[in-house]
Amino acid sequence: MDRPSGDRPVQSSGNVTSQTRIARLKEVVIGRALLSDSFVLYLSVAYFVVLWVFLPRLGSARNLSNLSSNIWPLLVLVIGQMFVLIVGGIDLSQTSIMAITSVCGALMITSGLDPELFAANPLWGVFVGEQGGPAGGSVAAAPVGIAFMLAIGTLIGSANGLAVARLKMPPFMVTLVSMFFFSGLAICITRSENVRNLPDAFLAIGQNYLGRVPTARGSVGLVPYSFFAALALAVAAWFVLARTILGRWLYAVGMNRRAATVSGVPTDRVIVWAYAVSGFCAALGSVLYSSRLGAGRPTLGENVLLDIIGAAVIGGISLFGGKGKVRWAFYGVLFFVLLDSSLYMLNLKFYTVNIVKGVVILVAALLDVLRNRIRLGWAPTGRAVTA
Amino acid sequence: MNMGKLLLIVALLGAFGVVVGGVSCSRRGSGEDQLTICFGFQDLETEFWVAGHKAITETLRAKGIRVLERNANQDANRQLEQIRDAIAQEVNGIIIIPQDGESAVTIVGEANRAGIPIAVFNRPPSDRSNPALVIVADNEKIADEAVAYMAKVAREKGKGRKWKPLIVVGDLGDRNAVARRKGFFNVMERNPDLFETPIEVPSKWDPATTLANLEAALQANPDVDFLFTSSDFLYPQIKAVLEPLGKWKKIDEPGHVILGGLDGDSTAYTLMKEGYVDATGVQDLFFEANTIMEALLTAIEVGQKTPENWMEDPGFALTQENMAERADEMWGYRVLHDE
Repeated sequence: MDRPSGDRPVQSSGNVTSQTRIARLKEVVIGRALLSDSFVLYLSVAYFVVLWVFLPRLGSARNLSNLSSNIWPLLVLVIGQMFVLIVGGIDLSQTSIMAITSVCGALMITSGLDPELFAANPLWGVFVGEQGGPAGGSVAAAPVGIAFMLAIGTLIGSANGLAVARLKMPPFMVTLVSMFFFSGLAICITRSENVRNLPDAFLAIGQNYLGRVPTARGSVGLVPYSFFAALALAVAAWFVLARTILGRWLYAVGMNRRAATVSGVPTDRVIVWAYAVSGFCAALGSVLYSSRLGAGRPTLGENVLLDIIGAAVIGGISLFGGKGKVRWAFYGVLFFVLLDSSLYMLNLKFYTVNIVKGVVILVAALLDVLRNRIRLGWAPTGRAVTA
Repeated sequence: MNMGKLLLIVALLGAFGVVVGGVSCSRRGSGEDQLTICFGFQDLETEFWVAGHKAITETLRAKGIRVLERNANQDANRQLEQIRDAIAQEVNGIIIIPQDGESAVTIVGEANRAGIPIAVFNRPPSDRSNPALVIVADNEKIADEAVAYMAKVAREKGKGRKWKPLIVVGDLGDRNAVARRKGFFNVMERNPDLFETPIEVPSKWDPATTLANLEAALQANPDVDFLFTSSDFLYPQIKAVLEPLGKWKKIDEPGHVILGGLDGDSTAYTLMKEGYVDATGVQDLFFEANTIMEALLTAIEVGQKTPENWMEDPGFALTQENMAERADEMWGYRVLHDE
């Protein structure tokens, strides 16, 4: 556990009453718990253990397998969003990048399209046909499709970053416009149709597991393939943030863009990088979700934005910039997915589930404010919390 | 700081209360011997789905069955996760209204692998690769019948002139929407002398999209005089577009646009009764709900893990001609009169 910065010096016991000591002890304990890097992890473990007593099925092999397969695709998206949040921005277009990359990738690698559904498609006869897309049926279809999706996602992210950095446009506005444009384009390209007949190698990424555990009802998967994609991304993201100059620049820009510029940080380039990473992660998330659902979908990710932002906030990634770690992203996603699953296991009404999730995100945002206040109260100046 | 702490404590207590309440409710209602069925639906955005939801949940609960309701808010991925959660809770059976045919295939596959019988209500999987109990209306035939009646009216009224038809198309990721569109075009093809090239207006099953697209289509084609909507729940948007153009007229008034739809909801019934709508295709909602529930309960009773049976609701077209005799067969009529 990291020690909170700037602890106040303890006064000599002769000068304070026992009441003051208890109050100070409370303040230190609460403060340390709140300021701990692993606060959300402790919370998740405590929440799981308490509920497990009442709901033994929460810890069943099948439910743990479900939790595991739900965590990794969301983590990929939250890591991407984290890069943008660190530089003090926000990327609302992640969902539409998911949609456009999902349909473009699927059209590239599908092995067959129904003319009845796709003949009106503007790409029919040019890019796609009854035999599918250009890479349809090829042994290299899956890697080609994935590379195509990642390239499109990164390009869109870079375009967002350029608009924010060079044109000085507000991130909210840029990514909102991107969101509308690319989600509309995804629907336009496919005429609202889902693209099926994707290669087995592609579907395996979202649907297959390494190892299986026998249960009373058949068996459940142990480690989903999506875990490896998320792990590779998490390690790369940690390395960039914690071990490279780019990582330091990202935090510097998020803390104070003007000061970073004055200090010689190429702020424009750093911002473009952050949005490019976000676009890349959205495309990778799209690979995981599309393969999981077995189709390229123009509406993919339509409702996942709240989950992304919610998990990031719960994890402690600040909406004000300058703060964020890969493990915070993981803790946030872990708690969010656990909360979601447990609320359904409690058989609460769907509207109650939404209310509780909203309250939890609000609490997380309040905690962020509280943590900042405690930190500022203890230290003369704020500091960037780096990976 | 104090205010922050206070807010935090209140919020945490609230969340804790909900969780504890949920746990106690969950434990109270989870007898080991009680049959549990998960009912997962994509949303309740139309009267059809609301009535279907009510019919299924109330009937099951009346039989003493515990129902786990899961609303996916029109998100296929969320629905998949919800059904996986239900499987982890070892429910005895699953009924779903899927977001679309493709996601239905994946979800049915999950239930098959877990050995839990699954039934699909009204919106069929896009293929039969995974076995399931499926009930679906014969949408093509019902649409064909409704549009055929509208064509008959057009022929009688037109006296040799051609009509300008328009179809409000549903979300074509949904096989029901595809079949309804096909039924409409079957009639167009059978009557080439009666109709000009039809205009297609995509709705995506969304009122706002319908309103925007229909307004644009009628600006470009103000001479539309024959309109079929793939779902009755879009009538308010159709009225909102036709009325300012002076095209919202009763059947016996000059300038009446020949109108028809499909579903059979209470709005369609009311508009037919008032004389605005010529015909509507009717799905037998209560027949579908009862048939699918009975099929699933039977499968559970005899221990079938992956039952397969695709059942069809023949439906019918309610027209101004047969309305007096058949209106009470329309589910929208019954919903209206129950209220």
